[in-house]
Order: sequence, then structure tokens, then C-alpha cells
Amino acid sequence: MAKIVVEGLKYRYPLSQKLALNDISFEINEGEFIGIIGANGAGKSTLCQALTGIVPLFFKGDYGGRVIIDDVEVAKSNLSEISLKIGMVFQNPFTQITGSKLTVYEEVAFGLENMGFEREEMKRRIDDALMLLDLYRHKDKNPFDLSGGQMQRLAIASIIAMQPKIIVLDEPTSQLDPQGSNEVFKAVSDLKKKGITVIMVEHKVEKLSEYADRIMLLHDGRLIDFDTPSKIFSKDDLKDYGVVEPVFTRYCKKIGLKDERGLYPVTLDEAVNLVVKKREHNS
Amino acid sequence: MRMMSLYKDKDTIIHKIDPLNKILYILASILITMLISDFKILTLTLVFSFLLLAIGKVIKNVFPIISFSLIVLVTIVVIQGLFNPNNKIPLFNIGQFVFYKEGIIYSFLLILRVLNILCAFSLLILTTKPSDLIENLVRRGLSPKLGYVLASVLQIIPQMLSTMDTILDAQRSRGLETEGKLIKRLKAFIPLIGPAVMNSLISTRERAMALEMRGFNSNIKKTFLNEHNETSMDKLIRYLIIALIIFTIVWRLVWLK
Amino acid sequence: MSKKLWSFKFSTASLVLIPAAVGINYIGKLFAGLLKLPLWLDSIGTMLASMLAGPIIGALSGAINNIIYGLTMDPISFVYAITSIAIGITVGILMYRGLIKNIYLAILSGIIVALVAAIVSTPINIAFWGGQTGNIWGDALFASLMAKKFPMWLASFLDEFVVDLPDKVASLVISFLIYKGLPKSLINLYSSDDEIERL
Repeated sequence: MAKIVVEGLKYRYPLSQKLALNDISFEINEGEFIGIIGANGAGKSTLCQALTGIVPLFFKGDYGGRVIIDDVEVAKSNLSEISLKIGMVFQNPFTQITGSKLTVYEEVAFGLENMGFEREEMKRRIDDALMLLDLYRHKDKNPFDLSGGQMQRLAIASIIAMQPKIIVLDEPTSQLDPQGSNEVFKAVSDLKKKGITVIMVEHKVEKLSEYADRIMLLHDGRLIDFDTPSKIFSKDDLKDYGVVEPVFTRYCKKIGLKDERGLYPVTLDEAVNLVVKKREHNS
Repeated sequence: MRMMSLYKDKDTIIHKIDPLNKILYILASILITMLISDFKILTLTLVFSFLLLAIGKVIKNVFPIISFSLIVLVTIVVIQGLFNPNNKIPLFNIGQFVFYKEGIIYSFLLILRVLNILCAFSLLILTTKPSDLIENLVRRGLSPKLGYVLASVLQIIPQMLSTMDTILDAQRSRGLETEGKLIKRLKAFIPLIGPAVMNSLISTRERAMALEMRGFNSNIKKTFLNEHNETSMDKLIRYLIIALIIFTIVWRLVWLK
Repeated sequence: MSKKLWSFKFSTASLVLIPAAVGINYIGKLFAGLLKLPLWLDSIGTMLASMLAGPIIGALSGAINNIIYGLTMDPISFVYAITSIAIGITVGILMYRGLIKNIYLAILSGIIVALVAAIVSTPINIAFWGGQTGNIWGDALFASLMAKKFPMWLASFLDEFVVDLPDKVASLVISFLIYKGLPKSLINLYSSDDEIERL
């Protein structure tokens, strides 16, 4: 039932003249992995904030249209209730650590304490979340003693403990080193395997193509296209939107290597398979 | 430095006393020192505080705390001894400066007061983990939001300090001079504090959003991960201190008449 | 700046402003020490919190600042929480009345803040230190006024005021300059009276 319906969403930040989101409509099904791409200022973060109710409940401003999750209209709900349906992870791992807890274990408990969960239920959820994010052996460490990648996984674990059906991640790897990024990508794909709907803003398009079922392309607050990675990255006007395709796709475009549907490969595996297939076909 | 604190982790009976009782002890100490100007009683209470600090095995940690106020305490004796308006009876003189009995007595009273209060505070600070203190107060009705603010300050400040060196290096490499004439040093202040302010304000935006996504504004009654049981010993101590406070006030009122 | 000046309904953003303010106070103090300035400059965070989120958040920042100092460094700091609260409230009101508009008004406001701080601190100084402040220059003035048979409260007030005046004026001017340089979206973050408009 964790279906997201967005209808005619428009939004303008306070004091701003420009619409950050302009007439956006789409639907996302339960268990999908959705990537969001676009240039700076395309409205990616704002869209994430609108899905989780931060827009317009935290930022106020001018708002139109509807975001519906599980038959609940987020603009008419409140953020603590929404947080049990849809969670959000931000860019900077440091600012997501509450700073008020001394251990990783207590840090994950923060949201559960606020939502008034019983102690036994709390412990069950914390254990599950720490296992899933591979942080259990760090449970007694101070959150600030973790590496960047571990800290970001802790932020994800803290959200997952609230057991939302949907998780939105706004460039969660942008401030991490390559190892930290890989840790986060692995964690996110584990979430998808658990049946959680994942929506992720990400510049690392190679990684995104590997995991995403569909990709949303935003430009200037508008939804340009929303389709499978191969359809999105096979578009020939990506440059106009300030977006680059995965390196494999770029190479295949250059040498004109496409499949029978006229689409370019978006991952290394796809590219290799296509080359092998073509070679077999030729011989 | 992960967390700002003077807490000394030791296993003593004083460490186990409910933090609220230690706060009440501070209140009682302030009240007694402000209401009663009797050397014998103030010395007695001071000795009692030192005894408690000794049981808590933190007595040597009290002296750095006292040393913060040491210079002022010494100058109080000098200034009051020389210039207290009630000075009449000369006690001794150093060169041409005459020290008077009234001023010296007054300054000793002030010193006793300050030491009493410092020791009572030290008992709380040195033997209570700040996070336990804050959680205890939240359980007893302090707003959880204010509890969060207090707890987070202790860890966020060391985090902010770690950015200080970065800013200093960056600005020095851009040619900022941090030595020389006063006006030059004063002018260097804004390029140093400016980025620190910007960093910390910008991070409040994301931290506020992240907290909102974790039920920070929920209207549901908060629960606690850690268990907490008040012992009958804690109750007894509490009633004793409250009785002492009431007794002091009543005694002072009667005594005044 | 909130239109509801005395509201006790805090937004999450203005609550997390408090730890930031306390941190800025502390960093201000450390940078002042590093540059060997003859000033404390340890209330810039409190002043900025008042300017951004109003007198109540400013007062809370001041109080929590001293509580934290008291818990982690010098217990005497607890009792001066009252002074910090007064600074937070005064700056909040001056800002709300539009009195901190330019650098000259900021200087004037700094003088007002120093006056308020000295008035609030004087009874504490008398109760704890027989009127002294612990600052060499201020206490030298105090000693000479006492020698000239000035009343103790006046000598104590002047002791505190001569120390506070340059510090609070400098702090408020610096806070004002930083405030002027902040992006509008950040200033707007802490005000709680925005309404959602339907498009």
C-alpha cells in the first residue's frame, strides 16, 4: 500500500520569486528503487522535501497540488506522523547525528523515544536496524567516532528504526570518500531487498543505473522524463539538462552500439553482454 | 575532546546518588550561606561538603575549580581590609596601608560563602555524568526539547571547535595577519568568526530537518531506552535536604526577631 | 525576526540555533584570546540568536551558555546566567524595535546592553565578591573609589560597567556586521510566523 501519488505539485520557497517545483505529477509503486537526477537548482532536494512533508510543513512558502502517501495527504498531516511512513536521509552525515546521545545504540533510539515506543519494541527495532546497516558491532561507540560512511549508515539506521515503508535519500554519498559511498550504496540496495521503496538523489549515475528501476529527470522545477535508466540515458538531449550519462553509455553512444530497441547500455554488464551478443550475431 | 565535562568516572556511593538530590544540596548550600553569617556553621557545612567529596574520591579535582576564583578571593581580602566602609579597628599594617578588622572579617565570610557554594556545585559536577543529569531532569518534567538542547551543546561545541583550526589555517594562507597592532588584530576577528558562524548556522538547517524526521515535534509522551529506578535511599536523602532547607528558613526568620 | 515577540512555541530551527549560539560564544572567546584582544567577545552567539529568533531564544541561549560553562568549567558561571539572560532579552527587544539598523545604532545599542549587563551583575558581584569583578582594571577603579568613600554599590557598578562597555559595544557591532552578511533564506529560517499560501 506504500504507493506515492503526486498531483500537480507546485512550490515556491519563502522570499523566492521562482517556482522551485512546477506542476509535477507522477506515481511510484511499492518496492521500487527510484533515482532522481538533474542539474543544480533543478528541484531535486525540494522534491525530496515535498515527498517527506518538510515542504510545506517545515519551510512553509507557497504550495499547490498534492502529495499522497498511503492515502494520506502529507501537507495536511504532521512531520512526526509522516516519519513513520516515509523517512529522509540528508547529505551531511554530521548534521544528522543528534549530538545528544553518547552511543550508536542510543542514537538510533532517539526517534523511537520521541514516538513513545515501549522499551522492548524499541530494542527489537534498534537491533534490526543496526544489523541491517551492518553497524551492530559499533553499537557502543560514540557516534562522532565513526567514519563518514559509518555515520551516514547510522543516519539511515536511525530512520529505518522508525520502520517507514519508503526512504528518501538526498545525495547521501556526496560528502563521502569512495569507500563510504560504496558502503552506503550497498546499504541502500539491502533496503530495497527488504521491500522498502527507495528514492535517491545521486550524481553517481553509474551506480544509480545499476540499482534504479526508474529514473526521474528534473530541470528547472519541471519533470522532464520519468522512465527506465536505459530510456533516460539514451536520450540525446541530456546535455541541455546539465546531466551526463554513465561512462559506458557515453562510450556506446560514441561508437553507435545500441540494442534492438534502439537503447544504449547503462551498466558495464549490459555493455559487455551487448558486445558479446553482437559478436555472436556477426559470426 | 569528544564531550565537555568535568565528570570523573568512579564507583562510589556519591556517584550513585540521584542527581536531583545533588541539585537540592546545591540549593540548600546557597540558601544556608546567604542566610546565615556564622563562621562556625559555614565552616561546618564546608567540612561536610569536603567529606562528601572525599567519599566520592574527587577531592583533588576540586582545587582546579577553586583556583578559577582564587585571585579574586585574594584581592577581596586586600580591598575589603583596606577600604570596607565599616572599617574602624586597625588590625595590622603593611607599610603605609592599614588593614582593618571589620573588612578582614567580612572578606573571610565572603570566602567561606564562595567555597561552600563551589564545593556543593563540584559535588554535582564531578560525580554526575552530564547526560545522566539531563535525562534525569527530563524524566522529572523538564521539556524534552530543552533536554535535547542541553545534551547536544556538550557534544556540538567540541565538533565546532574542530573547525576552528581549519578556518585559522585557511585565513592565514590568504594573508590574514593575526599579530601586530591592536586595531589590526581586532580587524582579524571578523574573518575568523564569520565562517564559523556561517558553518554553524547552515548546519542548523539540516539538523532541524533531520530532527523533525525523527519525531522531535511529536505530541506523544516520550519513552526512555534506559531504565531508571529511584531507591528508597534517594527518597530519604531528598526528604532530609528539604527538611534542612525548611529548617534554615524558619530558623533565620525566628532568629531575626 | 518573529512577530510573536514573546512566543514560547519554539520552532525546531530556533531550538537548534541555541547550541550553535553557545558554540559561537565559545569560539568568539577563543579567537579573542588567540588574537590577544583585551575583550572577552563571548556573547556574540547569544546576541545573534536574539537578533535571529527573538528575545526568548536569545535569553535561553544566554542561560544555557552559562549553565554549560558552569557544568564544564567554572561553577560560578551559573549565577551569572541572569546577566546572560538580560543580554539576550535586551538585544532581542532592541532588534524588534528596529534599533539595530546601522553601525551607529549598533554602537548605541551596545552601550544600552552594557548598562543592563552592569545593572544585573552588580548585586551578584556584591553578594559574592564584595563588589569586585575579577578584572584588574575594573577592580583597580573599584579600590580607588572605595578609598574615596564612594558607596559600595556605585563603585561596584562602575567597576562592572567600565569592563562591560567596550566588550558589549564591540560584540554587538560584530554581531550586527555578521547578521548583515547572512543570506535572507537563513534569516527567515528562524522566524515562526510564515503561513503556507495555496498556489
